[in-house]
Amino acid sequence: MIAIHCSNRTVQSFFIEVKVSQPLYINGVPVHDLYLEKRPIEGYLYINGVRAKELSGGTKYQLIEPTLFGYFDEICQLFTGNADIDVEDESYLPVSIQVNGKYVLKIERTGNIFTMDTGLGLDDIRHISSKIESVFRVKVIPLLRAVGLYG
Amino acid sequence: MARWELAKFKVERVSEGILNSVINFETEILIPETRKVIAVIYNGKQFTIGGSELKSEYLVYEIKSKLERLLESSLIRELSKHSRKAEYRRGFSLRKIDVYAEGTLANLRYVYNDKFLEFGSVLVIPPYKDWNKLCKVPLTVETNAVSNIKSFYEVLTEICRSALRVHFEVVTVNEILKLILQETGV
Repeated sequence: MIAIHCSNRTVQSFFIEVKVSQPLYINGVPVHDLYLEKRPIEGYLYINGVRAKELSGGTKYQLIEPTLFGYFDEICQLFTGNADIDVEDESYLPVSIQVNGKYVLKIERTGNIFTMDTGLGLDDIRHISSKIESVFRVKVIPLLRAVGLYG
Repeated sequence: MARWELAKFKVERVSEGILNSVINFETEILIPETRKVIAVIYNGKQFTIGGSELKSEYLVYEIKSKLERLLESSLIRELSKHSRKAEYRRGFSLRKIDVYAEGTLANLRYVYNDKFLEFGSVLVIPPYKDWNKLCKVPLTVETNAVSNIKSFYEVLTEICRSALRVHFEVVTVNEILKLILQETGV
């Protein structure tokens, strides 16, 4: 699952879990399962809790930080106020969106039944989901892949 | 015309083989003033309104053809894509019916075999004037026809693609109720 927190149309924090075939060495240990995060207020990328630029080859990670955060800002542009978005990491489609602490979209799965509750119209949901999916597929994932942080 | 409220609306076609299928229909209309319930039942052979058999063959034909139209919904066809079994049941019903002074809201439930899709609340009486409104108002959606989020979103798209058809289905429900109410003299 991918978690994004937006405030006033700007990304405040995000958290993504990824798997890489070429391991990153973190504290000398090869790691394939990574979690990438931006923490609130700080403008840096962290990989498994370590500032990305401090890792071996960290300069290339540092170089993508503004572009990467800009892509998340594109998602945050969709929401006014504070927004918390959970995105499924296979489809890159949102499963829940809270705006100012109130759910405007919640998709739950119980057994084989999917249930969606929403305060939005389906047209709005389709517009939001297609924007989020496209930002991930066309921008975020290719950028991460380019520096060895995805796939 | 006396004030009336819809309490139940359910139509189902059960099939045993290609040539052998039966339509079952049930609806209940409440008359709040007299607390009378008008139960309408069709079991594929006999059509009864409030326990009395409906004699007019034309009216039976008229209602039956409208019920069949409901069962040909594009959303039922969509559900059929997710069922691997040969058809043995399809259905359309209104659930969670809420009656307000301004109109009646309900969930629309579509069934194909063991798969269902239900969404609401939709204004069913009177129908939305603008059929496009279906995807502009908040809806809850529930289904067991998909296995992942991506397919679930595809179902949402199919609901919006079928908005005009859904509008005509709601209009058809109103037409069926009108025929029944005329017959009962409410």
